[in-house]
Order: sequence, then C-alpha cells, then structure tokens
Amino acid sequence: MMMSQYAAELCALLIEDQFGDLFARIFTTLQRYERLPLPRLKFYSRLTDRQLQHGLAAMIQHHLVFHFTSLEDGHTYYAANPHAAYYLVRSGKILQLVESRLGEYAARVMETIMYLGHAPIKHLETLPELRYLKTGTSGGADTTVKLEGTAADADQEQVPDDENEFEQELDQKPVLEEEEEQQDVDFEAEVVEMNGANGDHAADVGDNRPAPLNSTLKALASHGYILRVKDAHFQSPEDNYIEAHKAAANRSDIKLLKGKRLTEELANKTDEIMRERTEGDLSEAWMVNGLPRGLKRKSASGLGDSEANNKRHTGENGINGDHGYDDDENDWSEDEDGFDSSPMEPGLVVRVNYNKFDVALRNARFVEMAEANAPPVTAEIYETFLRRVEYSTKKCRDVTDIPREGEEGEQFSIPIETYKIMSDLDPHLELSSCMGPSKPPTSSTTTSNTLNRRGKRPLENGHGNGINGDHYDDNHDDDNDHFNDHIDGVDNQVSRAYEVNQHLSLLEQAPNNLVSQVNLSGVVKWRIGFRGLARKLRHLEIERLVEMRYGDVALRVLRVLHAKGKLDEKRLQEISLLPFKDLRQTLSSMQTGGFVDLQEVPKDAQRQPSKTIFLWYFDPDRVSSTLLEDTYKAMSRTLQRIKFERAQRRDFLEKTERSDIKGNEERWLSEGELEQLRRWRATEALLLGVVARLDDMVAVFRDF
Amino acid sequence: MSRFGAKKGNRAPGAEFTWDADPGGVPDTAPTPLYPTYVLPYARKLSEKEQKEVDYYRHLRERFHEGPYYSVLDVSSSTAKKGSAARANFDPFHGMPSYSGRYQKKRRTIPKIANIGRDYETRFFPRELWQTIMPNFHPNASIDGYNAQTVLSGLKRGFEDDEDEEDESTKRRATGADGGDAEGEANEGELLDGDEDAEEEIVDDDFEDDDDDMGGDYNAEQYFDGGDDEYGDDGFGDGGGGGDEDTY
Repeated sequence: MMMSQYAAELCALLIEDQFGDLFARIFTTLQRYERLPLPRLKFYSRLTDRQLQHGLAAMIQHHLVFHFTSLEDGHTYYAANPHAAYYLVRSGKILQLVESRLGEYAARVMETIMYLGHAPIKHLETLPELRYLKTGTSGGADTTVKLEGTAADADQEQVPDDENEFEQELDQKPVLEEEEEQQDVDFEAEVVEMNGANGDHAADVGDNRPAPLNSTLKALASHGYILRVKDAHFQSPEDNYIEAHKAAANRSDIKLLKGKRLTEELANKTDEIMRERTEGDLSEAWMVNGLPRGLKRKSASGLGDSEANNKRHTGENGINGDHGYDDDENDWSEDEDGFDSSPMEPGLVVRVNYNKFDVALRNARFVEMAEANAPPVTAEIYETFLRRVEYSTKKCRDVTDIPREGEEGEQFSIPIETYKIMSDLDPHLELSSCMGPSKPPTSSTTTSNTLNRRGKRPLENGHGNGINGDHYDDNHDDDNDHFNDHIDGVDNQVSRAYEVNQHLSLLEQAPNNLVSQVNLSGVVKWRIGFRGLARKLRHLEIERLVEMRYGDVALRVLRVLHAKGKLDEKRLQEISLLPFKDLRQTLSSMQTGGFVDLQEVPKDAQRQPSKTIFLWYFDPDRVSSTLLEDTYKAMSRTLQRIKFERAQRRDFLEKTERSDIKGNEERWLSEGELEQLRRWRATEALLLGVVARLDDMVAVFRDF
Repeated sequence: MSRFGAKKGNRAPGAEFTWDADPGGVPDTAPTPLYPTYVLPYARKLSEKEQKEVDYYRHLRERFHEGPYYSVLDVSSSTAKKGSAARANFDPFHGMPSYSGRYQKKRRTIPKIANIGRDYETRFFPRELWQTIMPNFHPNASIDGYNAQTVLSGLKRGFEDDEDEEDESTKRRATGADGGDAEGEANEGELLDGDEDAEEEIVDDDFEDDDDDMGGDYNAEQYFDGGDDEYGDDGFGDGGGGGDEDTY
C-alpha cells in the first residue's frame, strides 16, 4: 500500500519511539521499496543478516511487518504494515478505555497482550505480572508504575481525586469507583498485613488471584477487544485478496459461469473467502445472553448500594477478612451470571482487535456530541444505548476507504429495544429531572401517583417515605426479570420506558440526529445511522478548523457553500449577507488554505475571463483528505519535537535512566533535578497529549 | 516628487515624516514586515482522561524499552571495534567510559529473540526465520515442510520451558554469588550471559585490550547479545554445566 510522505514518516517515528531505530530502519526501507525478499532488504537497508533476521522476527511478532511466501518461487516477501504501526499511537486511549470499562486489571492484561504483540493463552497464564490482582513484584514494569505515580502526584496532587470524580460523573457508578479507591487502600493494608496474623486473609487473596485472568480474558474476548490470530493476519490485505481470488477462481461452480455473472460471483466468493480467513472474532463465543461478560453492570451497582455501604463500614472497622471477597466482587460483578473461571482454550493465540476499538472510540465521540447538546442524563442513556450497539458492531465500516460524500449509503446499527436500554441503565438514575413535566401514556397510573411523580421524583419518593428496604427490593426484582408482577414495578417500568424514549427522541432531533427511531410492529426500537454521523463528525471538525483559522465569517461562507453547492460570487454574497470586500478576502484566504475552490465555466470557446462564470465550491472529501495529511504532518512534527527536546536533555535523562537511579529518584537525585524531571515529564505529557488529540482528528477523517 | 495626488487638507508638506505623528509606530517608508505578527496558540492543559491516556502510553512504551526487542542501530562507545562505523561515531564528550557508566542503561543492537521465556507460534513466521526464533531448528534436517514443522515446534516447546527454568535458576545463583546487588540483579545475569556468548559469537580482536584499559570484566559491547546462543541449545544436556560457568 502506497502511503503518503507524512504518514510514512509518522509510522517510522512511532516505531522508533517504541522499539528503537533498528525497527524503524527496517520499516522505512520496506515502506520505501514496498515488498522485498530478504536479500534485497539487506541490500537496501544496509543491515547485517543477524540484525535483519532478529528484527524481522520481532516485528512479525508485533505485526509490524507482513510476510508472504510465494508458492511459485518459494521466496518470502516482507512488507510494512502501516496500519499496525499507526495504532501504536492509540495504545494509551485503548488502555484507558479498557480500564474504564473493565477495570484496572483488564487494562493490565490488555497492556501485556500489546506488549507481547500476540500471545497464546497458555503463555499469558504463566506470566507473573498477571497472576496478581494488583501490580506485584515484576521488575521493570513495577518501577515505572512507581515513577509515573510520583510524577503524576508531583504534577497535580489532585489527580487521583479529580479522576475519581470525573469518572463518577461520566459513568455514574459512584459506588464502584469509591470501592475501587477503597480497594487501593485495602491493598496497601494487605501488603502490610501479609506478614501479620491474618492467615485466612492471605489465603483468601491467594484463592482469588489466579481467577481473574481467565474471566478477564473472556470478558475481553466477549467485548471483541481481542481476537484470534490467524495466518492471514500476517499477510498483507493485497496478498490475502490475491490468494482468495485464486481460491475462488479454482472452484468448480465458478468455473461454469461466464461473462458478467462470472465477475460478480467471483467478487462475492473472493470476499467471502477473505472474510472467512481473516475473521478472528471471539465475541460471540463468549457472550452470555447476548451480553459480554465481566460487564460492570449498572444495575448491579445499584443493587449493591446498601450492601457495599455495609461492607465499607466493616472494612473501616478493621475486619480485614472480607477484602479478598471484596476485590473479587467489585471487579467482577457478574456473580449472578455465574462466575466462570474455567480457562480458555490454551492454544488460542490472541491479539488486540483494533477495529473494535475504533468502534468503541467512535461511540465515545458520539457520546461527547450528545453531552455537548443534551443534559447529562440523556447523554448517559445514550451511552448505555451505544454500549448495546457496540456489542454487535464489529468494525466502523465495510469498505476500506471512506466513501465519497453523497455516494455513501446509510449504514444502520441493529435496532435496540427500549426495555433493553432500560435494563442496562442504573435504576437509581433520575430520568425525569431534566424533562418537562409530562403525563406518561399509561392509563393504569392513579392520579395520586402522577401527582406525586410530578411533585417529587420517584426516587425521593422512596426515600421520603423511609421505605428504603422495599425500594431496594424492587430494584432487585427488576434485575431478575424485566416485567414484574408487582404493580409498582410495572408502573415504574412503563413510565421509565416512556422517559427513556423521551430522552432518546430529544437526541433524535436535528441538527445532530444522534439516533433514529424505528417502529416495527408497535415496538419502539432505536438505532443509529453511522455514516451520517461520521460525516457529521468530519464536518464539525472541518468547521472547527475553519473557524479557528479564518474566523466566523469564513465559517458562514463555508456553510452556505456546503448547503447550496456551487455558487458564483454575487449569489454567494446575497445569501451570506456579507459585504463584497469581506467575502472576497475570506474566500481568497480560504482558497489559499485549500478549503474552498474555484471552478470556471466559460460561456464561449475563447474562455475570456469576462465571459466566464466563476463558481465557488467546497468539496468536503478533498478537504478531509488534505486535513488528514496535515494532521499526519503535525503529529510527526510533534513527535520530532519530543525527540529534539529529549536530545537537549540527553545527559540528564540518561542519568535518570541509570539502573541505580531508576525507581529511586527521590534518593539519588537532588531537589533541582527532581524538579527538572517533573518538568520534563509534564512537557512530554503535554506533547504526547497533543499527539493524542491529533490522533482523534485522524480517527474522524480516516477511521470512522 | 510632486504631490499632485496629495490630499488638499491642511497637512504640511513632509508632515508624514514627523516624529510625533505616531510615537512608537514604524515610519511609512519602513520595509513591510516579512512575517505578520500572529498569536501563538497554546495547547490546552490535559484533562484527567488525557493524562491517564498519556500515562498508559508511556507505561507501555517503557515496557517496550525495557523489553527484549528494543534495539538501536549504533551504540557509540569506545569499546566498539576499531574501524567500525560505531567507532567512527564515537562521541568523545559523553562516550568516555567512566565508573558510573556501569549503571548506564545499555542498549541492544539486536533484539533478543530466543530464550526470553516467550513461546513463538512458529506457524506464523516465515520458514526462513525459524532458525532465528528457535535456534535448535535445523533447516537442513528435513526438507519436507509441514511434518517437520509440527514435530519440531512441539519438541522445541518442551526444550524451551526447561531452559527457561534453568536460566532463571542460574541467574539466581549467579547473583547470589555476586553478593546480591539488588539493583543490578537482572543486569548482572544478562551481563554474564553476554560473556558466555562472547566466546563463540563475536570474535572481538581488541577484547583483551579493552579489558586491560577498563580494569574490569565489563565489556559493554557484549553486554546485550542477540542471545540466540547455540551454546545452550547444543549443550542442552549439560545445561546445568553452563549454569556453573555462570558463577565463576
């Protein structure tokens, strides 16, 4: 695959940043010369045999290099895998996402899989760093954890608290979060007490320790975050296509066909074979009732509210025996689903499924959009809905390239019923607070009840009457089956369903159309049109840039051009209500920037300027691809900046990396040096953060 | 210069050249600035989520750097071979060996592939790299592809596990004999491994000279080695013997 200059540069820089310049040299050579057999590669890269063999083996392990052994001449060809190289930059985001979904331990498992490139399950089982729930005594990783900890603490002392609050807001899982915090504290206590007299306590933890790995892996698999590695994953897509094409052409039923039907059928069969060969999806095998495992269920958190409180109290009272159990339950609130720790197939080789993460990250973007335009409760309902959608969406789109605007069909997610969304929602979430008072369409509601609901929120109702016990019982029942016989339950459910629908129809409105309703045989279902929203995201991104660079006048012109198509200057001026002078200035500066362009339509054969119509237009596809290249360039410049800054501080940084100093910074470095280290870490974090933001743009323009 | 085009206002001739018209301003005749002034954009501060992402990214990167694959092209040091490119790039200001250099982070020039406690899924690698990922594979032993592959990979797994255990135990013993420098534990082990390899891997002419100069058994060049030592594999039977050598 031919790559643009900056994309290639960026990939090489990323590889160098992570794996050193030997890999980068091999990668660049392969990018420059495309596929090469080993002797040619050796010639072009000017590396030794040993360097090449070892480098290639390690790069294949990390999927950075495709290889293909031809059956005709027996040569093995190597080719760069820019896709995998680019995704190195997204590792932070992916891990953060996994952590927010499945907890810290899952993120660690994920990180280990990334660190190994691909790994069989049986190997993961042997790793010491995955054996314990909290980071144990694993050499290098441990010290860096400490280091990050100190740096972060020093930078912003507030970070841990803020983060917690932030996540509480985001996830509305206060109980879980607090308990995780509690866990941290507890764990320290555990470490201290390990030597103490708490024998049963240690045993508890010991029992639980091997358990999470298998269930975590299953959780990751059922979410689709990891996938089975197949032979075809090591070959470039082009080779896979050629092979599949050959295989399809050799089939007897294809050979009978002729002409147009032959080409059609051949294309279909090729696609089918390719899909079959590259498909490594594990999610379906490990789903429970259509839901992934290891889900932090919101309902579960609501259910555990009172119990959790009790537990925390006992914890504070110093009965430490519970903690092993505590840990277990908090990370895996799926006891009711059957806590399954039986190992997965040991020979199964897994790797990160980047396509799925694109889907998840895209959904996160949609939620951000919803948060910007709707109350937080609505955004949360939307997030819950998107979660459901995510489970059944394997990748962002079916075609490899983003289709041209206007030529893309709409691609809808599967429709999700309201009650499913409702069952995933936290039952304590107050739905009605941000909506205007309304009458639910249920006849069964008594007048007093409605009044009550209008005056007070259902939850407060429960609390006010002081029947907490009943209240929790209700929710408990709701969890078990969605439609309870209990009259209150039914009432509650129906009105909640109504409210959820209301919230979602708020999001259905223009301009964003974040969801759309389908009404099939009386059942209200919700779905999402991905292509339209992806286009919306792209346009928002373009508009944001235009406004930043050229001001709001330019933004108005751009929007007019987008809405109306090609316009001549006079007409444009009439529509946009701008003085000619401003308009011309803006247009010419935007043309220089490549955002709008001019088309000339001559009236006669001489093409005289006076007899030519000049039409301004805005081509989103072209602008998107230009911006994508610009973003690549900006990213690679930022990475080069990091390299430069690092080179400037080389002596100092080498000192901090010394084997005796690393991990013991406080002990060996002076106050000034510590300050310098902190400042360097903050600088680097900022630059990396900028790269991550640019990566968001790349995702919008390329992946979504 | 006639002023036909001048405004008929009450501006005296030459008024545009007065100093007090625009204090601090540039005169009209000044050259136009090459670069217009612009506002320097500042990056937003990182949000907590972004900070976390960055920390995860750096943590993973740190692991890669500590891991067996991170390798650089030129380790410029005075211990490099005479006449080699690495020697030519030697940095006289920072490259001089010093005592604290023994703590300095060592960079590999070749990723360590074999014997790092990692099983490779042989079927995913091209055949010409099989010998790299498992040094005890001999391509000439059997020409026919598929059978040999399965048998060998099966065998190899058994071997490797044993070796790993042995390696670990020898390391433990070696560091114990050294007197248990807690910091350099892993490094010591690798250093010794490197020495062991040196005997057959790279024939270094000035090895002895360097030894004398530095007055120690430290040899940065052999610090990290590719690690695919034929030694351990040929002498699988006497793996224990290898361990003993480690402790001298």
